[in-house]
Formats: sequence, C-alpha cells, structure tokens
Amino acid sequence: MSTSNQSHETSQHGSIGSASTSAGQPSGSPALGHPQSGARKALKDMTKAERRALQEKKVAEKQDRMAAGLPSSAKKASEQEAHRKVASPKIGSTANTPQSPAPDAEKQAKKQQKRLNEVPWLSHLDPPRKPNTASNTNKDLHPAVLALGLRFAEHKMVGSNARCVAMLLTFAKIIQDHKPPSDASFSRHIQKYLDPHIAYLLSVRPMSLSMRECIRWLKKEISEIVEEDPPLTDESARNRLVERIEYFIKERITVADRLIVENGMQKIQNGDVILTYAKSSVVEALLLEAKRSGYEFRVVVVDSRPMFEGKHLLRRLVSAGIDCTYVLLSSIYVVLKDVTKVILGAHALLNNGAVYSRIGTAMVAMAASDKQVPVMVCCETYKFVNRTQVDSLVLNEMGNPDELVVKKSSDENSSNSLTNWRDVPNLRLLNLHYDVTPSKHITLVVTEVGLIPCTSAPVIWREYK
Amino acid sequence: MVLSKALEAHVESFISRLKRRQIVGSYEVAKETAIILRQVVSTTRWSDATVLIQIIKDLGRRLSAAQPKELAVGNIVRRVLKIIKEVVRGELETDDIMGSGTSEESDDGFSDDDEEDNEEDSDREFKSILAQDTEDHTSDAIPARPKLQTESSMFNLLVDQHSDNVDYTAKSYGMKPLIIQEINEEIIADLETVYKGIADQALEHIHANEVIMTIGYSRTVKDFLTKAALKRSFQVIVAETSPTLQGQEMAAALAAVGIETTVITDSAVYAVMSRVNKVVIGAHAVLANGGLVAVTGSQMVAAAAKHHATPVLVCTALYKLSPLFPYDIDLFNVCVTPDQVLSFSEGTLIDKADVQNPYYDFVAPEFVNLFVHNLGSAPPSYVYRLINDNYDSEDTIL
Repeated sequence: MSTSNQSHETSQHGSIGSASTSAGQPSGSPALGHPQSGARKALKDMTKAERRALQEKKVAEKQDRMAAGLPSSAKKASEQEAHRKVASPKIGSTANTPQSPAPDAEKQAKKQQKRLNEVPWLSHLDPPRKPNTASNTNKDLHPAVLALGLRFAEHKMVGSNARCVAMLLTFAKIIQDHKPPSDASFSRHIQKYLDPHIAYLLSVRPMSLSMRECIRWLKKEISEIVEEDPPLTDESARNRLVERIEYFIKERITVADRLIVENGMQKIQNGDVILTYAKSSVVEALLLEAKRSGYEFRVVVVDSRPMFEGKHLLRRLVSAGIDCTYVLLSSIYVVLKDVTKVILGAHALLNNGAVYSRIGTAMVAMAASDKQVPVMVCCETYKFVNRTQVDSLVLNEMGNPDELVVKKSSDENSSNSLTNWRDVPNLRLLNLHYDVTPSKHITLVVTEVGLIPCTSAPVIWREYK
Repeated sequence: MVLSKALEAHVESFISRLKRRQIVGSYEVAKETAIILRQVVSTTRWSDATVLIQIIKDLGRRLSAAQPKELAVGNIVRRVLKIIKEVVRGELETDDIMGSGTSEESDDGFSDDDEEDNEEDSDREFKSILAQDTEDHTSDAIPARPKLQTESSMFNLLVDQHSDNVDYTAKSYGMKPLIIQEINEEIIADLETVYKGIADQALEHIHANEVIMTIGYSRTVKDFLTKAALKRSFQVIVAETSPTLQGQEMAAALAAVGIETTVITDSAVYAVMSRVNKVVIGAHAVLANGGLVAVTGSQMVAAAAKHHATPVLVCTALYKLSPLFPYDIDLFNVCVTPDQVLSFSEGTLIDKADVQNPYYDFVAPEFVNLFVHNLGSAPPSYVYRLINDNYDSEDTIL
C-alpha cells in the first residue's frame, strides 16, 4: 500500500490514457479512476483483491466506452479523443468507423466513395480531371497554354485536327516569345522550357494519339537543331523552329486535307446516299467540296449522346444546301437500307489497321459492313501511330459521367431516375470517348498519298518516320 | 353484329386509346383485349359457333386496325378464336360419342398416308382409348371439360385437321360457360403468371460473376435479372437507349435491387461488348420466322453480340408471339415525335433536315440464340411450332 502514488509507471501499462487507476484505492470500487497518463501501481504489488477491483473497473469502463460509441480498446479511445480535440469538426461522418483513428477513417470513406462510383474494369484509365488554374506552378507557364488548356478541358475545342493545330500554334508562339536565361543557349534550353507546358496540357486532358505524335516530331526537330554543327544562333534557331512548325501544319494537315478531298472525290457519284457519323473536319470538307463541284447526293448524319457533335455538321451541310437526314445511332439499321456508302473520320490509325475514333464509329462500321455497304475512312498520315490495340478498353478516355444524366428542369420524366446516381451504391455511369474499329469492317482509307487498304498503315508510318 | 351499349362504349374507349398511343406495351393491351373479348362472348347473343366466330373476327379487325403495330391485340383475338374452335370440337366429340360412338378423329385416321402405317395404328389405338375415356366420363351425367389440343402430335401435322367434318353450326348450350372458363384460365390467368414463369428460369441461364448486357426497359427482363440476383452475384451493363432513355430507368431499378449496374451510352455498346458474357433483351413482339420487333437499338446490340460470339437471350411471353411474317420490316415500325432527336428549339434546322425517330427495331432471327418464354425456352427455329400450337392457320388474316 505504501507504494500507492501516482508517479509509478510500469512498462507494461505504458501510457494508457483515460483509464489509469489511482492505485491507492484499497476498496476497489470500480467507478473510481481519473484520466491520468501512466500512473499505476505495479500489478505485482497489488493484492489479489486490488487486482480484482482493477479488472472490474476496466471492464466497466470498457462497457461505458462501447455504449458511448468509442473504440473498445482504451489506447485507441484516447487517441481518438486527442485527435478529436485537434482536428476540425469534419469527422462527424466518419464516427462510425471505430477501428481506425478519425482522419484516416475519413480518407478511407472518401476513397471508398470514389471506388464505388468508378467502373472497376476501367480503373486503369484516368478519371476525368478539372484544370487546376489556381495552382502556383501555373505562374511560370505561358498564358496561351493556360487558355488552351481551359478550352480543352471544357470541350470547347474538340476534334483531333483542331486540337493539334491549336497546340502547335501555341507552341510556336511560346518559342517565339521565349528568351533563354543568359547562361544557356536557346537550342538547349527550349526543350526544358517546353516540358512543363506539355505536362500541363496532359494534366488537363489526356493527349490524343495524334497530338503525341506531333510532340514526338517536335522533340525530334529540337534535337536536330541542337546537333547542328556549327551551333546556330538563338535567333536563327528560333526562326527555324517556328518555320518548321508552320511547315508541318501546312504540309501534314492543311494541304493534306485538300489532297484527301481530291482523292475522296473520285469515289463520289451522282445519286449517292452517304452516311457519316459525328463530326469530322475532313469529311465535312469532302462533302462541301462535292456539293460545290455539282454532284447530286444525299447525306445521312448519325449522331449520339451525350456530345451531339453531328448537329454541328448538320448545320454546316444544311446551310450549303445539301439534302440531309438526321438520326440517332440506335436507329442506324433503319436508315442503312438506302445508304450507298459510309464515310468516316478518324482520330488515329493503329499499326494493325484498326481505326481509333469517336465512340460509336465501330458500331457504324460494323452495321455497314454487315449490309455490304463500303466504309471509307479519311485520315491524314500524321495520324498514323505506332501503337496497336485489339480492344477499346485498354486505352481510352473517360469523360465526365454526369453528362449522361439529362437535366430536364421542366417536368418529371424518366431521365430524373438518375439524378442522384452517386448516392446509389451499385450504380455507375460510364462515358467513354473513343473506340477501336477492327480493320475487317473497313474497306478503304483515303490519305493524302492515295487510297490505301487499312492494313497498309504500318508501311506508311515507316515512310514518315 | 350488335354489341350492348356499355360494351360498345368500352370498345370505343379502348380503340381511341390505342390510336393515341395512350395505352402502350403488349401486356396492358393484351389484358384489356382479353377482357373485352370475354365480355363479348358472355353478353352478346349467338346461337352457334359460326356466329360467335364472326363476331369475334369483326371486333378483332376493328381493334387491330386501331393500332396495327400493337400486335398483341391480334394475338389475343386469334387465341380466343382457337379456344372457341377447340371447345366446339370437344363438345361435338362428346356429343358424337354419346350419339354414335365413333369420334371425328378416328374418321380422319383412315385418310392418312401409307408411309405412316405404324403411327396410324398406334394413334388410332390411342384415340380409341381417348374415346373410351370420354365415353366413361360422359356416362356420368355431366360432360367433362375436353382437353385442349395444345400439343399437336406429328400425326395431326400430316392430316388436314380442319376437315369440314367439324360442324360449327351445331347448337350446344354448354359451350358458352366453357368458352368463358377457357378464356379466363388460358388467357387472362396466364397473363398474370407470365413474369413468374420466365423469371423462374433465370438461374438456368446465369452463372456467377457474369456480365450481362441489356437495353431498354422491359419488365420481363427486370424480373428475370432480379430473380437471378437473389442467388447469384453478377453485373449488368445497361445501354441507355436514346432518345427515350428507358435504359436509365432500368438501371436505376436494377441498382435499387442490389445488382451492380453500369450505364453506358448506345455508342459504347460495341466497345464494351468484349467484356460481356451474355446479352438479355426483351421484345415487343415475336414474328413468325423467329424475328423480333424490339425497342430501337436492339438490332445494334444483337449484331455487336454476334460479332463477338456472345449469346443473345430474348425474354418474351407467349402472348407476344404473332403469326405474321415480316415480308416488309418497315410495316412493324412506327416513327414517333422527332422532337426527342432534334428538339424544336433548333428551329431553323428542323425544316431543312429530315429527322427520323423510329420507335422499334427489327432483329433478324439469325441474331437470336434463345427465346425464354413462360412455358420453357425455344430457339428461333422452333417458333413456328409454338405458333401452330397456339393459333389456327385460318385466323392469320383476321
């Protein structure tokens, strides 16, 4: 008994928080015991009765804790209390996870929520991102890139040609404006300077395959400039790079489009009924040129949710005076009866001859080839990539799933069944942007170098390497 | 043919609702048609079966003309006609037995081919046993309810069963309650149990950890998947079915039951098909060659499934089976308002472009692997037998 004082700390009973006893109580009433850290009489010093009392007290305290909803172990209960005093009141929602301390529980609950809304077999793809305009690192970037990034993120600029050209012109501007630090030459520094800009664009929206090819080409040009012997002056290096970019845009995109239109016109006749899907800038140019040249043909524009890109194409064609029909993708078999040929655009052409294009293209090509209707794909050679994919899920881009939910503010109808989809644990929405059309559905690819079968894609790629 | 006032009013209201598409969906339409026909049988005055058959045919023609795309109307009318003919045949059989002792069927027995000797003997034996049976029954004062010939034996296929031996002008007072009873049991009660019959087969077709794809909102498919989810865990991918977005409603209903559901756009069907194990869809109607009329987008899903060698199951009840043949598939399609495709707010665009919004899709029989119906399952090549069992070939044109 003489050892009863609060300064005893035995190693076995370490730093138990709220449940330490003041071991100097001989009577063993279980309700005594004030929260003190570590002051306990050594167990072996207690009498049997005291030990009994201690045990009973602990059991009672444990029951109290469980009734109060705290973790049943004393150690964790004290930790939780300590954290609760420190952290902000956001913990309320996670108080039901008693097995882990509070902030971790919150993080875990958030992670669970995110995982619930994610499609598990597409967890290898990046979820849709929002541009981080407030970040500090963006201060070092050229404002043109920030503007471009915003346009990409909000889908104000869509379409692979448009995005590529915009990106290259922005880089040209950056190169024009860039003044290297005094200790480095332009040619050696420009690469390092461009990298954060590229990284920013990547963070905003995943790069299209053709954009990656362009960047690869640009890096090759820069490394060629570096290797020049004798080394170029800053001014001439800058001018040369800007010139090369403009030349690339002109040769591989603008003039290529014109050649594609010329080549494609060979395949259009009077009385044709041409079906096209979504909006491709090359196909639009082809159809407008055909109308200008006086051919008589009809166009069927097939469109799909949620982007409705075909509507923009419809507008342009109708204002040019072309006879158009407009349907949604689900009714494609009904309109295919009258169609004589199908012309599609592409986002990229893969090494195995498959076409990587807007989602839904595979369906159109499959339906057409089932009905023996020829399928033509118009694609510039800069879009030929050295990749292969056999299904559409390995590499894709996921869009914002909320776009699938129709917001009809006027009346109650079935579209509102999904308005709170995030609260339903078993429900997920998937908004994919691209798909892969296997080469067996495609008859012909129109490029600026001529009309080729889609399986010749790797040959062309090698030529331009 | 004169219907009573109340009945005429009911018929008129049904016709106008059909015309305005205020009543849509084969189940509702079938139920109401069956109820109307039962009332016709019970309230109108008819002395013999030919008069009744004429009345039903005329009414059926009126109802189908109101909405030719709702094939369920014609199907129910044809079933009622078949029931009437069966009851009459059964009645005459019992009458004959009471009278002369030989039944109609044994008369037919002598006029078949020589090749079918063995079958003829055994069948004749069988029929004489049957005749004896009914004879025994009829010796008790009340005639037993004759069994409906819902399973045609091979023998009957070779013989023209509609030989004019059956005299529909025979008068019999027992027919009316019998016909009404048959309509109640075979058609109306059957309609109630249709969903259960299909859902009970769910466990035979779905294994654990499967990924099932579906399109549109079909109550049959929903009950099918819900029943399977009680014992198996699987996932469902639902295509949203633009522009009506029925698929979204279906997904919400399935998720509420606890099934892991993913909603995709119609355009993603081909892309995602590589992940799918089975496709289960519902039908609006099944045609005589095994083809389907289903919600728009179904042909797309079925074709994508065929390319990926994924089996396609169609859950459909037998009352959706129609003896019509799709000579022109456009006949079965109906175009609804184009506003859902290109809304009227796009003003200037609307009158310059031709906007189409077909409601249904025709799925050819080669894209379907199996029909799961309330009495079992059948491949598309068997559909003609089901039609033979349920309808009379004379009634195909009402």
